[in-house]
Amino acid sequence: MDPLSPVYITGCGAFLPGQPIDNEIMEDHIGRVGGAPSVFGRRALRWNGIARRHYALTPEGRWLHSNASMSAEAVLRALEAAGLGRADLDCLAAATTQGDLLVPGHASAVHGELGGGALELASFQSVCASALMAAKYAWMAVRTGEANCAAACAGEFSSRWFRPEFYEGGALIDTKGRLAMAADFLRFTLSDGAGAVVMESRPRPKGLSLRVQWIDMVSLAGRFDPCMWAGASEQGRAERDGGWSRRGPLAAHAEGAIALQQDFNLLKAVIRAWIGVYLDKVDAGRIDPRAVDHLLCHYSARSLREEIVGLLEATHAMIPEERWFTTLTETGNVGSASIWIMLEALVRSGRVQPGQRILCIVPESGRAMVGFMMLEAVEAVR
Amino acid sequence: MSGALVIAEPDADEAVAAVLRKLAVVWTGFEARLEAVPLIRKLTRGRFELADYHAFLVQLRQQVKDGALWMSRAASNIDEQHLELRSILMRHAVAEHRDFRLLDADYVASGGARQAIENGEKNLGSEALSAWMFHKASQANPFGLLGAMFIIEGLGSIKAGEWGRRVCERLDLPTTAARFLLYHGENDAGHMEEFQAMLRLVLPDAATAAAIVRCAEVTARLYTLQIEEIAA
Repeated sequence: MDPLSPVYITGCGAFLPGQPIDNEIMEDHIGRVGGAPSVFGRRALRWNGIARRHYALTPEGRWLHSNASMSAEAVLRALEAAGLGRADLDCLAAATTQGDLLVPGHASAVHGELGGGALELASFQSVCASALMAAKYAWMAVRTGEANCAAACAGEFSSRWFRPEFYEGGALIDTKGRLAMAADFLRFTLSDGAGAVVMESRPRPKGLSLRVQWIDMVSLAGRFDPCMWAGASEQGRAERDGGWSRRGPLAAHAEGAIALQQDFNLLKAVIRAWIGVYLDKVDAGRIDPRAVDHLLCHYSARSLREEIVGLLEATHAMIPEERWFTTLTETGNVGSASIWIMLEALVRSGRVQPGQRILCIVPESGRAMVGFMMLEAVEAVR
Repeated sequence: MSGALVIAEPDADEAVAAVLRKLAVVWTGFEARLEAVPLIRKLTRGRFELADYHAFLVQLRQQVKDGALWMSRAASNIDEQHLELRSILMRHAVAEHRDFRLLDADYVASGGARQAIENGEKNLGSEALSAWMFHKASQANPFGLLGAMFIIEGLGSIKAGEWGRRVCERLDLPTTAARFLLYHGENDAGHMEEFQAMLRLVLPDAATAAAIVRCAEVTARLYTLQIEEIAA
């Protein structure tokens, strides 16, 4: 008998700030760099297939929320969905790409927003896969009996980095006033929001719970340079003294080392590396594509998905497209929060039946990482 | 249609898919390892020099020139039961056996002396790669070499074009000085279907499947060694 406890997701929560912002007005909402329309913007939107997204700031630049407050709201909604309250929570694992402060960690900020008594905390900082790092912490805490009720949350407030003043006066803007594609693409791809799940050692007394079968994280950072990063210039991103703090914030801004950037050439190799990790899991029997009823794959652009389908079909590793579930078009790409936003929407849709398996895949281009989580829907037997 | 046939066909399909799956995993490990090789890092990180390109062409020439030769030798060791595969390999060898001349032309177009590339010698990795290929090709029915072809064709269809574009960009060279790389990037994409057809000629067979994957692993490692050994 397994000496460890089974773990169930008993509640999911999502929080998307403000009103949905459609493609026609999005660039005016975050602001035009140099006052002119982006050269790449329309193309980026075609690539990623996003039609609407949410921003935690107004067109004037006023903040409606912080990353921590959105994350806390998502945790409260997940607790509510589980039929629990703040007092039931004894462990919080929080993920984000960039917290509100440089120091201390994001989990402290989320706990601050949640208020209330003592909690065990863990902060995870990476790009999208940080969501599953936090989930793995929460899962292990409940599984080992260290916690009774653990929440894993993830939040992003990307738009604050996308305001024109964030780039002006730096090397990412060329002599004609245009922003480098490596930075501009992300302005049209990422947006704001938060998501959370609550995990317990027992399923909900009524309705569906999702048993966490396993969570696997695979990093290939030992082989690849940073592919999506902030805090270094393109040249300095893999150097030991390349970080922004080496030369101080003003010099770092001037050399374009503060903004979020993406290396598109490297991304192609990283995508193939993710597929390799997935195929390896299929080959090893860890994942049986035929036994997956719902696939939640976080992908940053629709065009990337089309690129990989051929290989997956040739290797009998494809999960039929009718089993894919995504909210990318409607909610945008919310980085680490996306997987929870999708899971919440899937559960709410009523499509999940007891006994079905849900595979969550979160590839992260940050430095070639990918996370997998296998869930099985169960109904409590009373 | 007999029941046996209905069962046999999905088996062949599954065997091909299973080998492709393993080969794709080998490929991604290879590609990740390539990213870390000093010469390739120089190319992708912007400190690549003309001398690096010339050294790269000299080594590519060794492997390209030998490629058609080991393929011919492999064809000569394929039995009558697999004549179709023999034909494919022979056509392949004919189509590619003069390709190294294109490398010579690129070398000259980028400012190198023809004699220098013609007199170039294999480095340690190229020696090992070449010896391995001829060793495999000399065995009876050397079907494992399909794994080597997967790696080498993959380089052509996936990496060559990108490398060629970067070479021109970094060194400010015209595309006529990187025709070998750019040409392979444009023309090798259709080879995947041909490759699947070749797998179908020798599968399902567990020992052959294992030999193909193993050969791909060894070839990938030796190919990387060849590039690692280029002074950078």
